Amino acid sequence: MSLLRVAAVRAAAPLSARAASTSAVHVVSSRSNDGPALANIEASWATLPASEQLEVYQQLEQVQKQDWKQLSTDEKKAAYYVSFGPHGPRTPVNPPGTGIKVFAGTLGAVALALGLFGLARARAPAPPATWSREYQEESTEYLKKQRSNPISGIASEGYKGKGMVMVDN
Amino acid sequence: MVLSLARVALRATARPALAAAVRPAAFTAARYSSHQAEESYEQFNERYQAFFSQVGDLFELQRGLNNCFAYDLVPSTDVVEAALRASRKVNDYATAVRILEGVKEKVENKGQYEAYLTELKPVIEELGIQTKEQLYNL
Repeated sequence: MSLLRVAAVRAAAPLSARAASTSAVHVVSSRSNDGPALANIEASWATLPASEQLEVYQQLEQVQKQDWKQLSTDEKKAAYYVSFGPHGPRTPVNPPGTGIKVFAGTLGAVALALGLFGLARARAPAPPATWSREYQEESTEYLKKQRSNPISGIASEGYKGKGMVMVDN
Repeated sequence: MVLSLARVALRATARPALAAAVRPAAFTAARYSSHQAEESYEQFNERYQAFFSQVGDLFELQRGLNNCFAYDLVPSTDVVEAALRASRKVNDYATAVRILEGVKEKVENKGQYEAYLTELKPVIEELGIQTKEQLYNL
């Protein structure tokens, strides 16, 4: 009995599937005369609900069965966009303009860093009294006078180093 | 008895080694590769032309295109023509446009692409295909 029922269900299933597909085709034929749906599909595709996307897809399937020379540019574009446009898995990882954005952001960050650095330098207190050429040269003289490191260092014969002078200018 | 059996066994094990040792020089020069012999460009084109002329549905066509365009070579115009006709057969205009786009992607420079287009002009006009550049005025 259950076997029979399974068989009956199996027999009914393709019928219902076929009925569904014919009704879908019917919907398509009712839509195929309204042109604007395909006109700018690039703009509207992303916001179309899945059911309408399916409708458009099926409509395009029917359209592409004609002679391709009779297709309008809109239909051709729509067919190409729906199949291979930048949506779904073909969405570009970096949308157009990303390069400029990244470049501008980097420039901004570098400018900000330079600004912070300049601000910190501008607001810093003056260098200590020891940080001047005169003071440091005097320190060298003092070390030489008291014969500091006389074998290889500052008070040795023929010493060529800078001694205690560390200021650049 | 036991001795003779052992001798037979010994001989049986000894023989393959001997056979291997006297292998002809020609065979030792063969390349031992997990792959088959390399396919020539002509064989490749023949194979894919045959494939595209017997394609039955869109999935098969696109699968074949993915494989065909994955090689480090540009398929010949015959293959591209067969693929274009296959896309006409399965009624998919978008794939036809995509094939030309794929050719553009594979060739080295614009001149080669133009050469492909002029060579394919008859079939492109017969089927009424436009390239992506023509569609979007690029």
